[in-house]
Amino acid sequence: MLVFTLPSVVAVSLLMAFPVAYTLYMSVHSWYASSLTSPEFVGLGNFRRAFVEDDRFRNALWLTVYFTGLATALQLLLGVSLALVLNRPFRGKGFVRSIFLLPMVATPVAIALVWMMMYNPTLGVMNYLVGLVGLGPYKWVSNAAIVVPALAVVDTWEWTPLITLITLAGLATLPIEPYESALIDGASSTQMFWRITLPLLRPTIVVALLFRAIDCLKTFDIIYVMTQGGPGFASETLNVYTFQVGLFYFHIGYASSLLVILFALVLGVSLLLIKVRRGAW
Amino acid sequence: MDVTRRMWVLAMALCLALASPALAQQQFNWQQAKGTQIRVLLNKHPWQAAIEPHLKEFETLTGIKLVAEVYPEDQFRAKVLVELASAASSIDVFMSMPAQEGLKYTRAGWLQPIDEFLKNPALTASDYNWNDFLEKSREAMVIEGKTVGLPIQVENGSLMYRKDVFQKYNVKVPTTLDELEAAAKALNGKTMTDDGQPGYGIVARGKRAAATSVFAAYLHAMGSTWLGPNREPMFNNEDGIKALELYGRLLRLYGPPGSENNHWYEASSIFSQGKAAMYTDANSLFPVIEDAQKSKVIGKVGYALFPRGPKGQYGSTVPVWGLAMPKTSQNQKGAWLFMQWATAKEQVFAVQSEKGVLGARESVWKDPKGQAKVPADLRESLTVGSKVGTPLWNPPVIAVAECRDAIGAAIVVSIQGGDVKAAANKAAADVKRIMAETEKK
Repeated sequence: MLVFTLPSVVAVSLLMAFPVAYTLYMSVHSWYASSLTSPEFVGLGNFRRAFVEDDRFRNALWLTVYFTGLATALQLLLGVSLALVLNRPFRGKGFVRSIFLLPMVATPVAIALVWMMMYNPTLGVMNYLVGLVGLGPYKWVSNAAIVVPALAVVDTWEWTPLITLITLAGLATLPIEPYESALIDGASSTQMFWRITLPLLRPTIVVALLFRAIDCLKTFDIIYVMTQGGPGFASETLNVYTFQVGLFYFHIGYASSLLVILFALVLGVSLLLIKVRRGAW
Repeated sequence: MDVTRRMWVLAMALCLALASPALAQQQFNWQQAKGTQIRVLLNKHPWQAAIEPHLKEFETLTGIKLVAEVYPEDQFRAKVLVELASAASSIDVFMSMPAQEGLKYTRAGWLQPIDEFLKNPALTASDYNWNDFLEKSREAMVIEGKTVGLPIQVENGSLMYRKDVFQKYNVKVPTTLDELEAAAKALNGKTMTDDGQPGYGIVARGKRAAATSVFAAYLHAMGSTWLGPNREPMFNNEDGIKALELYGRLLRLYGPPGSENNHWYEASSIFSQGKAAMYTDANSLFPVIEDAQKSKVIGKVGYALFPRGPKGQYGSTVPVWGLAMPKTSQNQKGAWLFMQWATAKEQVFAVQSEKGVLGARESVWKDPKGQAKVPADLRESLTVGSKVGTPLWNPPVIAVAECRDAIGAAIVVSIQGGDVKAAANKAAADVKRIMAETEKK
């Protein structure tokens, strides 16, 4: 019955379709929102400007890819390993599992503030810790060269549990038969992991990766709280830059076109990963 | 009989009505917006901290319900901007620095000019006395000929230094930029705290956009400025580059590591923890530095005029905070009563005498009780600085935030020890482009 779906149709079109359409509309206009002039149609001028003239955009695009690649790789590695460990039977398993999930539940802003203090070059605990193994001291998020890895570590700390959680669910659904026949055939546990567990887990891992990649591309909270894109523009990802352009500089048209680019990027990465999941690659 | 009696009552009522302006002059009606509500947005700031305990008094006096929200500076500015731009803002009063956003907000038609409110005796108490405000603070509130706010605080970009440290190591308090660098070099790494820890020579903001307003003092002392006579960028001239190099050199060689991410919160805590010999920033931060609960340098800090340049130029900048009202306020009367109350002599006296907020009223500065909380050298340097200084603590453009980011990027490059000249020229080109985009007719 059409009439029953109507409320949700209305809600979706008001809250989702309209903003997307309006962003697309604004992205081909130039509009400085604090002047009293109305938007001016510029065609693809905003996109040309982004890719051709705006070195801050190119920097942001690269940093977004860099941050996403680094953070998701770290999280994937740690998350899957952690899931394999937690999947073994041991005492207090349920308790340990819940503890590992806590970072994910905490408020990102609170996490960012705590890490800020840990990263503080003079007072923070991180320089003490790396000092124990003879490294440092580093300036962490104040050093342009290592600010992105430092932020990726924070994101990894927060979101590794998500990958663990999804992988654990995947492990629980694995059939027992392949392992039985492998045992009879005399396969070692290493062989069983590489030849059975990992291939069977692939769709699950790709789903986890998909979630994290999309989220990392759009990461805003921890970066904004910790560095606001600094020092200089060394951690200014696309989302942070767009925020500045739109809500601090008020170039609404240009910010919209940047959002369209970010949207295309997220969509592209998602489609790619879905393809990987279906085994096309 | 009845008719004449009625006529008589009517005449009496008429007389009362005619007499009421005269009555209002003697007894200003603070209750005229009783029962309404206003929403006030405050920036996290010494003035806000000082006035907050008194806000209940406003509610009692006027019968207006006050909803106050406080945000840290960056978020505060973003919040006000977004709300005003949405044209559906429910803000009635907000803290504002006209040199920061006044031109932009005025051109966008977001600000309610208050000249008419000031003139209207039914809305403004006769003892309010607008001319009591220091001249520069009044001027700072005027944008394109219209008064857009009431001053709540005046400050100067200045030099704060550790009297004890300078004395202990026998270093002269800098009055010129050359002496500033020499002092930073001489004191860097020297013991500055009771537990014998070494401190830094100097601390200042290094965070991109935030650093520009402190850098403004170095820029002007060096003899340069933001824009030339034809509004073309001038901060990348020879003197400007010298100023940029000096700022970066000071923080890189004699400042704390990680200066690139320091806003005033971080810089002032490093200084108040006794970890730096000098601190260049707004002298309005002195309540933070003299905070009995948090500071370790109480009574040890001197408040001096910002050092002068090689040709004797003054660098002191004169930023003024005010209270402004958006055009969209649905309760302009209530909003005005709050603005007026918060800047009336009683409240200026209260925040200045209790917490040492640097008020803008001359009469309060003349009152010995009004100065009690403010160190004598600060009082003196503030008075001088506000006379000889420059109101241009920001580039005088519409897109202040965007230009500050562009110039701030060059400051960060300088702190990191990069190619300052190239960074300055790039910043100038960026500012030129931004101005062309945002100030076209």
